[in-house]
Amino acid sequence: MTAPATGRESTREVAKAEGGDALVAMIGRPNCGKSSLFNAVTGARAHVGNFPGVTVDVLEADVALPSGVRARIADLPGVYSVEATVDPSTDEGIARAFLDDERVRVVVLILDPLQLRLGLNLARELAARKLPMVVCISQRDVAESQGLRVDVTALRRALGCPVVLVSARDASARGAVLGAIDEALRDGRRADSLSDWTPASLASEAVQDVGNASERRRRARTSTIDKFLLNPWLGPPLFVGLMTTLFALVFLVADPASQAMDAVVSALRGLVTRALGEGAVASFFADGVLGGAGTVVAFMPQIVILTAALELLESSGYLARGAFLVDRVFRALGLGGRSFVPLLMGHACAVPAIAATRIVRDPRERLAAILVLPLTTCSARLPTYALVLATFFAERSALFRASVFVSLYGIGAATALIASFALRKTVVRGRSLPLLMEMPAYRLPQGRVLAQKVWGSAKNFLREVGTVIVGVSAVLWLLLSVPSPGRAAAAGARPIESSVAAAVGQVVEPLTRHAGFDWRINVGLIGSFGAREVMVGTLGVIYGIEGAEDDSAPLADKLRAARRADGTPAYSARTGLSLLAFFVIACQCMSTVAAIRRETKSLKWPAFVVGYTYALAYVAAVATYQVSGLLGIS
Amino acid sequence: MKVDFNSAATTALADATLGSPVVIEALGLDELEAAWVEAVGLSRGARVVVLRRAPLGGPLHVRTSDGAELAVARSLARAITVSAVLEGGAT
Repeated sequence: MTAPATGRESTREVAKAEGGDALVAMIGRPNCGKSSLFNAVTGARAHVGNFPGVTVDVLEADVALPSGVRARIADLPGVYSVEATVDPSTDEGIARAFLDDERVRVVVLILDPLQLRLGLNLARELAARKLPMVVCISQRDVAESQGLRVDVTALRRALGCPVVLVSARDASARGAVLGAIDEALRDGRRADSLSDWTPASLASEAVQDVGNASERRRRARTSTIDKFLLNPWLGPPLFVGLMTTLFALVFLVADPASQAMDAVVSALRGLVTRALGEGAVASFFADGVLGGAGTVVAFMPQIVILTAALELLESSGYLARGAFLVDRVFRALGLGGRSFVPLLMGHACAVPAIAATRIVRDPRERLAAILVLPLTTCSARLPTYALVLATFFAERSALFRASVFVSLYGIGAATALIASFALRKTVVRGRSLPLLMEMPAYRLPQGRVLAQKVWGSAKNFLREVGTVIVGVSAVLWLLLSVPSPGRAAAAGARPIESSVAAAVGQVVEPLTRHAGFDWRINVGLIGSFGAREVMVGTLGVIYGIEGAEDDSAPLADKLRAARRADGTPAYSARTGLSLLAFFVIACQCMSTVAAIRRETKSLKWPAFVVGYTYALAYVAAVATYQVSGLLGIS
Repeated sequence: MKVDFNSAATTALADATLGSPVVIEALGLDELEAAWVEAVGLSRGARVVVLRRAPLGGPLHVRTSDGAELAVARSLARAITVSAVLEGGAT
C-alpha cells in the first residue's frame, strides 16, 4: 500500500466528518469491462454490454468498505473523455456532470490492459481534476492469456494512486477494489502528478507486448468473421435475414406463450367472480384490475425474448456491425444505424423497443426513435386488424385479405420513417453526432449475464409499466361501467350503454361521423385507449357477445348486421378502411406511454406522442373514409 | 486546417486506399468535436488502416495502431486529413 498521508485519520473519521456515505464514481471507456466489475464489486445487476455506450441510467449500489465505512458506488456511462463533451445529454455529458458533483469522493477508473494508452488519456483528464483516484486494470485473465505483463508498480509510481489488477470473474476482485477505495479515501486529494508521464510513454512502460502479437491474435478471429458478415454483398442480406428470424421468433414463440399466460389470468378472473359473486366489486377486480394485469403478463414473453436477443446481439459484438451496415440509409431519415434494431423490434412490441433505444448514442436520434416507435405495427394491433378484415372483407379472397395485412405493416413502417424525418426537421431539430463507434472484437456471450439481464428487465417491466397499466385499466373500467350522471340505465339495457364512456362517445359522434364511426365504435376506442387489443372485447360487450376476444366471428356477424335508426347498415367497407387507418397510427397503448415516460424521464414526451398520434389517426381515418366514398367503395 | 504539403501527398481519410496504413495529419473539425474524436482514438499522428467501406456511402471500418477498430461516418472521414505511410516507416 502507498505511504500514509500526512495527518492521517482513520477512513471512518474522514467519512463521518464530511457527512453521509462516501460517493464513489466508477468510470471507464466503453467496453473496458466496467459494468462486469461493478457487478462483481457490488453484487448488483448492472447491464453488461459489448456495445459502446449502453449504460444510460447511472446505476448505484451501497457497499461496506473493509474499514467499515459505507460507500455508494455509481456506475457511470462508458466515456472516451470527460473534457471533450460535445453535448451535455450524451454519455460524456452525463458523466461529466456527475463528476462535478462535490459529493464524489473517489473516482475508480477502469482501464482495459489491451488499450492502456487510450485509457490513460482519461486518467490524465481525471488527474487534472485532482479527485482521489483508484485505477483498476480490468480483464487480468484476458491479458494473461495473451501473454501481456502489466507492471502495476510502474503505474502506481507514475499515477500516484492505488492501482489494482483484477478480473471480474475472480472472487478476490471485490476485496481488492474496495480496499483500494478505502486507501484513496484515507489519502485524500493528491498533488498533481501530470508532469511525469504521457499516456504513450506510461502505456509502453507498464504493459509489455501491447499492440503486437497478442493483439493480432485477438483480432485475427474477428477479422475472419468480419470478412463474411461485413462483405458488401453478403453482409446486408445476412443482417436483414437475422433480424427477420428474430422477428419471426417473437411471433412463433411469444404468441403461444402469451396466450398461455392469458389463460392463467382468465382462470383467475373466473375464481374472483366465483368468490365475490356477480356484483360491481367483483367486476372491478375481475375485469378492471385483473384484466389490466392480464395485459401486462401477456407482454412478458415478448419482453423476455427481445431482451435476450438484444443482449446476445449486443454482447457478441454483432450489433455494432449491423449499425455499420445500415447507418447510411437511416441517417437520410434523421436516425442512425443503431436505431434500426429498436425500430425492427417495435414491430413485435413497442415497449421493449423503447427500452432498446438506449443503444442509440445520439440523444436527438434516440428521442426521435422513441417518438416514432408507437407507429410501427406491433402484434397487439393484429386482433383488431383480423376483426375488421373478417367483418368487412369476408367476401373477398384470402389473398386480398393477406395483402391488406401486409400493406398495413408497410404503411406502419413508412409512417414511422416519414414521421422521424418530419420530427427531426421540427420538434427534435438539431445536428446529430456523426457516427464514430467502436467495433468490438467478437465475444461469446456469458449465460449468467444473459440470465441476469432478462430477469432484471422482466422485473422492471412488471414494476414500472405494470403499475401504470393496472391503474389505467381500473380507471377505464369505471368509465365503461359507472352510469353517467342523470342517465338511469333503462331496464334490460347493458350498463355500458348508460356509462360515462357511452356519453362521451355520443358527444363526440358529430366529429367522428366524418370518419364513419358511430358512438359504439367511439366507446370501443375509449375502451382501447389503454390497450388496443381491448377494442375487440369492448365491442363484444357493447353488442352483448361473450368471449369476443377469443372468437370474433359472432361479433363480425353482429357488426355486419348492425343497422342505423333508418334501417341502413351502420357500417360498410369504408368504415373498415377508416378504422384500419386509425389503428395503424394511434398510440392506443398505456404500456408504450409508460415506457416513453420512463425513458425520456418527462411527462411532456409521452403527452406529445398521445397527442400527435391521435390527431394524425383522426385525420387519416377521415381522409380514408371520405376518399373511399369518392372512389365509390361501399 | 493545417496541411503539410512537404510530407507525402495528403488525402481525406474517406479516400484512403483500403488496407494501406496512413497517418492522421489534421482534423478539420471544431475544437470540441476534434477533442472528442481524438479521445475515441483518432488523434493527430495516429496510424490507421481503412479496412472497408460500408455500401451506399456508409461509414468506414478503420483499425488504429492500438488495435482498436472503429466505424467512422463518411462525413467525418472527409474532414480528417491523412498521409500515406512509407513502407518500413515507424509505427
